[in-house]
Amino acid sequence: MMRPVLVRRDRVLPAVQGFGFLVGIFVALVLGAILLLVSDSNPVEVYERMFDSAFRGTDSLSRTLERATPLALTGLAVAVAGSMGLWNIGAEGQMMAGATLATGVAMMTDGLSGPLLIAVMLSCGVVGGMVLMLGPALARSHLGVNEIITTLMLVYVSIRIVEWLEVGRWKDPDSLGFPRIEEVPGQASLPQLFGRANVGVLVALGLLIVFSLAVSRTAWGYELRLAGSSPNTARYAGVSLRRKVLTALLLSGGIAGLAGAVQLTGTEVRLTPGLSNGFGFSGIIVAALALMRPSGVAVVAFVFGAVQVGGQSIQTLGVSAAISTILQAMILFGALTAVVFFNYRIRWAGSGDGSDV
Amino acid sequence: MAVAQSDHAVWLRGIEKHFPGVIACDGAELKVRAGTIHALLGENGAGKTTMVNVLAGVYRPDGGDVWVHGQRQVFRSPADAIAAGVGMVHQEFRLVPSLTVAENIVLGAAPAFLRSGEIEQKVAELSNTYGLAADPTRPVWQLSMGERQRVEILKALWRDASVLVMDEPTAVLTPAEAAELGLTLRAMAEEGRSVIYISHKLDQVVAFCDEATVLRRGKTTATFSDLMDVDLAELAEKMVGTATAGNIERPEPLEPGPAVLSLENISACNDRGLAAVHDICMQVCANEIVGIVGVSGNGQKELAEVITGLRQPTGGKVSLSGEDITAASPSARYARGLAYVPEDRLGVGLAPKMSVVDNAVVRSYRSQRRGLFLAASKCVAFCRGLVERFGVRVGRLNDPIAGLSGGNLQRLLLGRELAEEPKILVAAQPSRGLDVQGVAAIQGHLVEQRRSGVGVLLISEDLDELLALADRLLVMFEGRIMGEYGPDVTPRTILGAAMAGMPPQ
Repeated sequence: MMRPVLVRRDRVLPAVQGFGFLVGIFVALVLGAILLLVSDSNPVEVYERMFDSAFRGTDSLSRTLERATPLALTGLAVAVAGSMGLWNIGAEGQMMAGATLATGVAMMTDGLSGPLLIAVMLSCGVVGGMVLMLGPALARSHLGVNEIITTLMLVYVSIRIVEWLEVGRWKDPDSLGFPRIEEVPGQASLPQLFGRANVGVLVALGLLIVFSLAVSRTAWGYELRLAGSSPNTARYAGVSLRRKVLTALLLSGGIAGLAGAVQLTGTEVRLTPGLSNGFGFSGIIVAALALMRPSGVAVVAFVFGAVQVGGQSIQTLGVSAAISTILQAMILFGALTAVVFFNYRIRWAGSGDGSDV
Repeated sequence: MAVAQSDHAVWLRGIEKHFPGVIACDGAELKVRAGTIHALLGENGAGKTTMVNVLAGVYRPDGGDVWVHGQRQVFRSPADAIAAGVGMVHQEFRLVPSLTVAENIVLGAAPAFLRSGEIEQKVAELSNTYGLAADPTRPVWQLSMGERQRVEILKALWRDASVLVMDEPTAVLTPAEAAELGLTLRAMAEEGRSVIYISHKLDQVVAFCDEATVLRRGKTTATFSDLMDVDLAELAEKMVGTATAGNIERPEPLEPGPAVLSLENISACNDRGLAAVHDICMQVCANEIVGIVGVSGNGQKELAEVITGLRQPTGGKVSLSGEDITAASPSARYARGLAYVPEDRLGVGLAPKMSVVDNAVVRSYRSQRRGLFLAASKCVAFCRGLVERFGVRVGRLNDPIAGLSGGNLQRLLLGRELAEEPKILVAAQPSRGLDVQGVAAIQGHLVEQRRSGVGVLLISEDLDELLALADRLLVMFEGRIMGEYGPDVTPRTILGAAMAGMPPQ
């Protein structure tokens, strides 16, 4: 009897990774086609529409980029923590914290010029995310408290705080009684690049490049990788694990907070409890698919954005929102499954061990 | 042809098992009669744990075969081994803390319809039969280590194990609990079950066990069919090697220089917070190799970590060339000339997932910077220098080091530590698990360092190596130095006695 055995690969080649993803996505599309046939849709038509609405023409492309921007930032946030073996599950909450602090500072500072206001708001976004992360980071570095739980719990805290601001302190007096926060001033909108894509794309791209270089080329990044892959070896090399954990988590929180501020100034007009819109959680998938590498985050975020834009567009073909969501999920499953084959290859082994009596 | 071997409960025949860079078992043999308690002895890395993991279905051997009660077995998983009657109590217990004792015991082997009252009653009966007191209704997290171990044994008995493997069972027990365990194991043996007992505590081995097998470097080197008339010193000697030391050339005598490392009244605790090193005073001078010999687990690891700064001592002072470095960090100590080849190469010395270059610069990356960046060209040049000077055989410098053989890993590690001309080298088990050329290369470097004026502290369980290389030997037992011996003049039996805790009369 032959049975498959997973054998760990010595080395993961980028070509294997790219090919693996494509195969994974292809398998998912085939399975999705069955699903679409069952629900009386034409898979070819649906897939064509998905592709067109995500890639064909500058308008489509700009929508994909608009979606990809927060995904890239939250994906980077998760990846920075992940390169040290830490899991920031709460990027969703840090986005809200960043957007909240950015809104607050916009309310307090009257009449700042556009570029200055934007700079201040984005900086506040970073600070907001870091502030929310401070508790989990200190708890992790000094007491060993699991950051997965603490960061996740704070997601709900920060969303509730926004809900409270919405009906309380920050309620818009001109909202005719609706619980709503005032729009951010017009000059605080991020400049548009083309279509729906704004300068946030460049911010995300810039940060991805900076972190990609920082992690792979600097002494700081070397210590980070060493501490992440072999903590005892890092201690032996004289790296303070405590400080590394703290900086990795705070940076992670700060980047997620920036994602919130970018979303606020780029796409949304006001702070709402729905501003983070699942981008923080999707960032975890983005980072995992990118194998925690900043350079990979850029590619994965772009593809992920396209899948989301495409998935929404097919609803105009009569495909239900539920099917569209399942389809998106299947594509991600396909890609995630492929990750297994980056690290392992299958060997078929016989029942005996070759030395049968 | 399958030949029934019904007189043995377990027969592991010619077991071979290789791991990347390490030969764990190299044709080792183990025969255990039914109804006996069988000690499996050997230094760390001798292959004991690998052997029992083969028996328990955790590893598939690369060669050799497994016989249980006269049946040849090919275990695909631990479940197969359990079905064949092999139960294992691992060093780290595998219990679910939030479940009760009874739930843990039946987990995975519960009847289809769980009636908790009934199961608890059956578990209680089982624990009464063997004198393994354990309240079946209590959650496991409330239990002491000794109680948890009883639950593990009950788990094996619930599955009707006819062979029970215990890996270092008394390491977590108080002396009273250990004595109790001895009685339980005896009761099981009297029923016809067999126990395989792995331990470093030779006095307990002699007290509890009927037979013994000694492994060394993955091979079976000695068997004792009756431990009644075997003394501790003989066992200790067998574990650390009995071959004549002819194959290693003794380095020429040198006049020792000034003291480079001195320890004053050093005491330290182990990871469980128990005292592991007691009040040690010693010196290592330039131009000499000082050997520390002892059965593993007698405080050698903790002592090395205190010297190199990975563990804070609970008392005492460490000085390097007269300068107090007790509070200095590991990297500060390295910068002052203290190099360290740790026992756990891949867990402490090297980062297995990182590249050859990244591993080469673990000690020196701070000086390979150009602005904020690590200068890749400097790092590669540094790495290439090490590779050439120390004869490391590598593929591509940017591949993870996990693919290197054990000997090449150790050459890289030793080379990195020696790169900046240290004053003292602390080397823990530097040649363990290496092939012949690897051992020769590493030992050659130690001798070379001694000649060039470095003080070497060589911690080893390999008596042959120590007798050949060391200028002075210190025997360590239960965290204390039992005495200092000249390697040329001391008979092995005396060293064996000291290692077993008996100072010479």
